[in-house]
Amino acid sequence: MLIQIILIATAFVLFVFFIRSSHSVRTQAVKRIGFVLFLVLNLDAVLRPDDTTWLANKVGVGRGADLVLYLLVVAFAFYSVNTFLRFRNLERRFTDLARSIALRDAQPPAGADRLDLAELPVDASAPRVPVQTAREDAPEHARDETPESSLTGGSPR
Amino acid sequence: MADYDDVWIVIPVYNEGAVIGDVVERTRETFPNIVCVDDGSRDDSAERIAHTGAHLVRHPVNLGQGAALQTGISYALAQPGMRYLVTFDADGQHRVEDAEAMLAVARSEGADVVLGSRFLTENEQVPLLKRIVLRTVVALSPTARKLKLSDAHNGLRVLNREAASRLRITMNGMAHASEIVGFLARSGLKVREVPVTILYTDYSRSKGQSLINGVNILFDLSVRQRGA
Repeated sequence: MLIQIILIATAFVLFVFFIRSSHSVRTQAVKRIGFVLFLVLNLDAVLRPDDTTWLANKVGVGRGADLVLYLLVVAFAFYSVNTFLRFRNLERRFTDLARSIALRDAQPPAGADRLDLAELPVDASAPRVPVQTAREDAPEHARDETPESSLTGGSPR
Repeated sequence: MADYDDVWIVIPVYNEGAVIGDVVERTRETFPNIVCVDDGSRDDSAERIAHTGAHLVRHPVNLGQGAALQTGISYALAQPGMRYLVTFDADGQHRVEDAEAMLAVARSEGADVVLGSRFLTENEQVPLLKRIVLRTVVALSPTARKLKLSDAHNGLRVLNREAASRLRITMNGMAHASEIVGFLARSGLKVREVPVTILYTDYSRSKGQSLINGVNILFDLSVRQRGA
């Protein structure tokens, strides 16, 4: 069936994209195993639609399609929260950046002493990225840590 | 007249060009050190401030009042000899005499933080609907109850150096007021409340927080408590 081919192709493309953004953190490995599992389940659901119905009946849902829809809702909710947290983290960095620009360009009134820039406090509200890892995996690192630490109640600070 | 060389006034400014010049000049008759944080205003606020004797810090983009306050606090903390910091609204709703009274309390009673309250004295200065909303916010805020505050959203505050340097406002928008109260409740700092008079002019009424914004504030805060 055509739909099966399309869905399987999509799954493979996703898989390739996923593999290619490579960096070596343990959480990343766990995520990948989870994602591969997800893809396998996808393939199974596409090739043998009855499996989802079987599973649906096991967990007390009438049809397999309903089960898939419910899982989609859950996945979307998770995605939304993840995105929200990521955006908020981005907003904090953006604020810190704008603030440091504002403080650097501060205009004292005419005749006042010029502010010594070295004395300005470093704003610690943004999560710090260690210098030695700051080159390649720093963005990934920070991006991955935020939702996890936030969801478990820890502070990114 | 008392000596206020160690006091810094922090005024977050957003599109207040019509009044900010007067507000700064009036405040400067008493307090020599003022920093105005222009939060990316689209009007001539920055230009007006530049013509006064106030320090001007300009956000390159609009970030929100909470972010502007934090920027002003960071700036004031970097100034030599700063011991007290007063946050002040830009629309002229606060009275300089109230700020002086609050500073006197901070100095004489050793309070780390002095907050202005509209509700300590029973009077009719706050419009009824606004009073109900503000009271509700206080009632719903566990931290405000813990500190026994009567007014969580007053822009007039006095912080000493220790309190100011420990405070980190992360809520860029209007929820920072509740965030500050939450910080104070956890910090163990000595907090006092002092009755103040708000000048509800037509101008400040038109600029003031809309009541519906209270919904946004509650949402921001509830998300913040779970997330960060």
